[in-house]
Amino acid sequence: MTAELGRTAPRATTTSTPLLSRIYGLGSVYGKTLRDSRLAIVIMSGLLSSLVLAAGADYGKTYATAQARAGFVNLVHHFPAVLAGIYGDPFPAHLERLGGMISFKDAASAAVICGFWSILALSSTLATEARRGSLEFVLVTPLGPRVIALEKLAAHLTSLAIVLAVLAAASWLAGAAFGTLPGDEITAEAAIGFSLWVGVMALASGSIAFALAPLIGRNSARGVAGAVTVGGMLVYGYQAAVPAFSFWANATWFDWTSQNQPLAGQFDWTSLVPVALFALILFAVGVEAFARRDLGETTAIPWLTFPAATLGLGGPLSRSLGERLPLAVAWGAGIGVFGMGLGAAASSFGGTLADLSPESVKLFNSLFPKIDLTTAAGFLQLAFVQLGFIFVGFGVATLVSGWASDESSGRLEMLLAAPLARMRWAISSGLGVMAAIGVMTALIALGVGIGAAAVGSDAVTPMLGTLVLGLYAAALAGVGLAVGGLWRPSIAGEAVAAVVIVTFLIDLITPALKLPDWVHELALTAHMGQPMIGSWDWAGIATCLALAIGGLGLSSWGLSRRDVAA
Amino acid sequence: MTAIIKTDKLTKSYGSHRGIVDVDLEVLKGEVFGFLGPNGAGKTTTIRTILDLIRPTSGRAFVFGIESSADPVAIHRRIGYIPGEFTLYDRLTGGQTIKYFANLRGNVDPAYQADLIKRLDVDPSRRFKEYSKGNKQKIGLVIALQHRPDLLILDEPTSGLDPLVQQSFYSLVRDAKGEGRTVFLSSHILGEVERTCDRVAIIRDGRLVKVDTVDAFRDLAHHEVELRFAGPVPTADFQGLAGVTEVAAEDHVLRMRVSGPMTAVVRAAARYELLDFVSREPSLEQTFLTQYGQETTQVQKP
Repeated sequence: MTAELGRTAPRATTTSTPLLSRIYGLGSVYGKTLRDSRLAIVIMSGLLSSLVLAAGADYGKTYATAQARAGFVNLVHHFPAVLAGIYGDPFPAHLERLGGMISFKDAASAAVICGFWSILALSSTLATEARRGSLEFVLVTPLGPRVIALEKLAAHLTSLAIVLAVLAAASWLAGAAFGTLPGDEITAEAAIGFSLWVGVMALASGSIAFALAPLIGRNSARGVAGAVTVGGMLVYGYQAAVPAFSFWANATWFDWTSQNQPLAGQFDWTSLVPVALFALILFAVGVEAFARRDLGETTAIPWLTFPAATLGLGGPLSRSLGERLPLAVAWGAGIGVFGMGLGAAASSFGGTLADLSPESVKLFNSLFPKIDLTTAAGFLQLAFVQLGFIFVGFGVATLVSGWASDESSGRLEMLLAAPLARMRWAISSGLGVMAAIGVMTALIALGVGIGAAAVGSDAVTPMLGTLVLGLYAAALAGVGLAVGGLWRPSIAGEAVAAVVIVTFLIDLITPALKLPDWVHELALTAHMGQPMIGSWDWAGIATCLALAIGGLGLSSWGLSRRDVAA
Repeated sequence: MTAIIKTDKLTKSYGSHRGIVDVDLEVLKGEVFGFLGPNGAGKTTTIRTILDLIRPTSGRAFVFGIESSADPVAIHRRIGYIPGEFTLYDRLTGGQTIKYFANLRGNVDPAYQADLIKRLDVDPSRRFKEYSKGNKQKIGLVIALQHRPDLLILDEPTSGLDPLVQQSFYSLVRDAKGEGRTVFLSSHILGEVERTCDRVAIIRDGRLVKVDTVDAFRDLAHHEVELRFAGPVPTADFQGLAGVTEVAAEDHVLRMRVSGPMTAVVRAAARYELLDFVSREPSLEQTFLTQYGQETTQVQKP
């Protein structure tokens, strides 16, 4: 037999890839990644634009006169150390301008929100494909691993650029639409500068995840990058309150760019260079790590391990709780520490209030009626609850998503092949989610209680108030369970996250845009009373219970009627 | 004999997509029943409908005489099942996973469970997410077998298993049959079905094409016959013989397909000087492929 090595086969008709599909579509790794990011682009554009527009509308109308602005500036300048960093910007510039106010309140939040997106996207862009196996198919094409990694990175950069362009337009619009005093206009340079700052900050966060994901895995990389981002903002923001933070604050990109506040009309373009270089270096590390390491081989970093007894092998309820427990503990401990810090800061805030001018005290009291801000409970009601609802909401989204994975991953098929009725599984596993929420709530209450007790304040009232957060969480879980049971498990977690985001936006936009009360009342959080100071809204609590129990019932009813997902 | 599984015009549609159509099956107590078909033919849909994981569009399925949608828990109590594709708890070890499912079922003999773990060469100490595909499959098999179910429903059970473990699995199936238990084995690996099953059903495009014994499938097949003559090939003498088709000559060799008795061909060949006579016994695979090309449906009642 004669071998015919090296002989070229006759050229057959080959397909050609249109340029458009290489840019956006199935024509290239870049195009497909960009196509897969379209929903995220829409969500992020909407979220960041809403943030800036709502803040602009709120401040433009609330502080429409020079006198009101002066009062606001006076108030912020008299903030106690612990409050100075509550929005992540302890050194705000030009607070008398609309842009300055937006920058003070929302710039750091925008950077962190955008950073979270980058962390999620860049940690999973390669790791998720590697985990499900599709990356092996891509890697055996003539594309090298570096090209694949760079194309995926470029696609995220493009997505980010689109979002930032929308943010810049929204920022400019906020100045044009809601500015009431001279200097309120936000120039194109300021709007673009702000977007650029948000983008560079986000990439710094995302680059950590991108570099670490091939080394320690997607979830660990997310954890480290998220901790560095949030930790960086807290350390920078609270350095005045906690002197020990000052050293570490210098190492954060929030500090490096502290003089760059474009919306306030203060520019420091060169401060962006080290942050961009930091991101660039980590991107290079990520690309090389992906190219050089064995595909999918990661080194586990030791996290807190739970005793085997907590795995819950006795039945579906205990198994559901056991499976959710690490996440519930993580969320509970994180939010609890946050609550503990704020509770412990109450006496400092009370002392500062006493030093304020009578006008400022009057303004403060008009902003927060019925709340005694000198107590830990009052301060927690002011500073903790609203954020607590958001954090708890996202915590529930992850718990429900884990519950839904029983079905979406195919486990449920094996579980139901045991003598286990669908309804029993749905109720038991749903109760497991509720029990996990109970664990999360208990840890939050513990943190809040310790914080309040540390400053000699009443700890019981805010601890009991934390139960309202738990009830809100149970209501959200009910919504998620119902969606998963009635329709598709794959969207249950997303449904909860959507409710949380919509609730947040209603809370944010309704007062700012002076929309009718009934719009605000659509948000469940509008019916939660002021739980930290012991003022409970029983209608809201009843609604939460109804949603939790009803959701559980609907989930089991729905699952017993429909086909189990393959 | 008692029918352990019985379906009556079982039909499942997914909107405009075909699932299964009018599937009539009967699996008897104590038999190993093979369910053959190419990818996407409807094997898994049939199994999931029988187990009440999905609901039929029309028709009914009975297991142990119980309608599957009426009391699935009573059915599940007596079955062991391994799906074609599955995943379990990443954080649990193989041993913990097996234990959890034993707890869900109850009445699992620890000695038998340990024996299964040994026979299938399972390392129960590793986390599920660390297992290879084959090792995950072994965990699934232990879960399906550990409670000695009356009926085993196995959807492509040897997928990913190495040949040695496959042998262990076949041995376990033989044990189950020996104990009078019933096995319903879905596969697209013909050798596996030929080796383990008593009867076979073939499904294609959602419809049952044929149900019969493995031996009957072999008998049905066309034999490939090749005759080598010393002189010129007498093609005309063989054309028209009963059961002979596709007669083709090449030099001194005559090839044909023969179905049914071989007597006429042997008599015709005996009239000439014959250098060689080759008759190839058909494999089930050839039969399957032949059957797959047929349009008619022939379901042999047991």
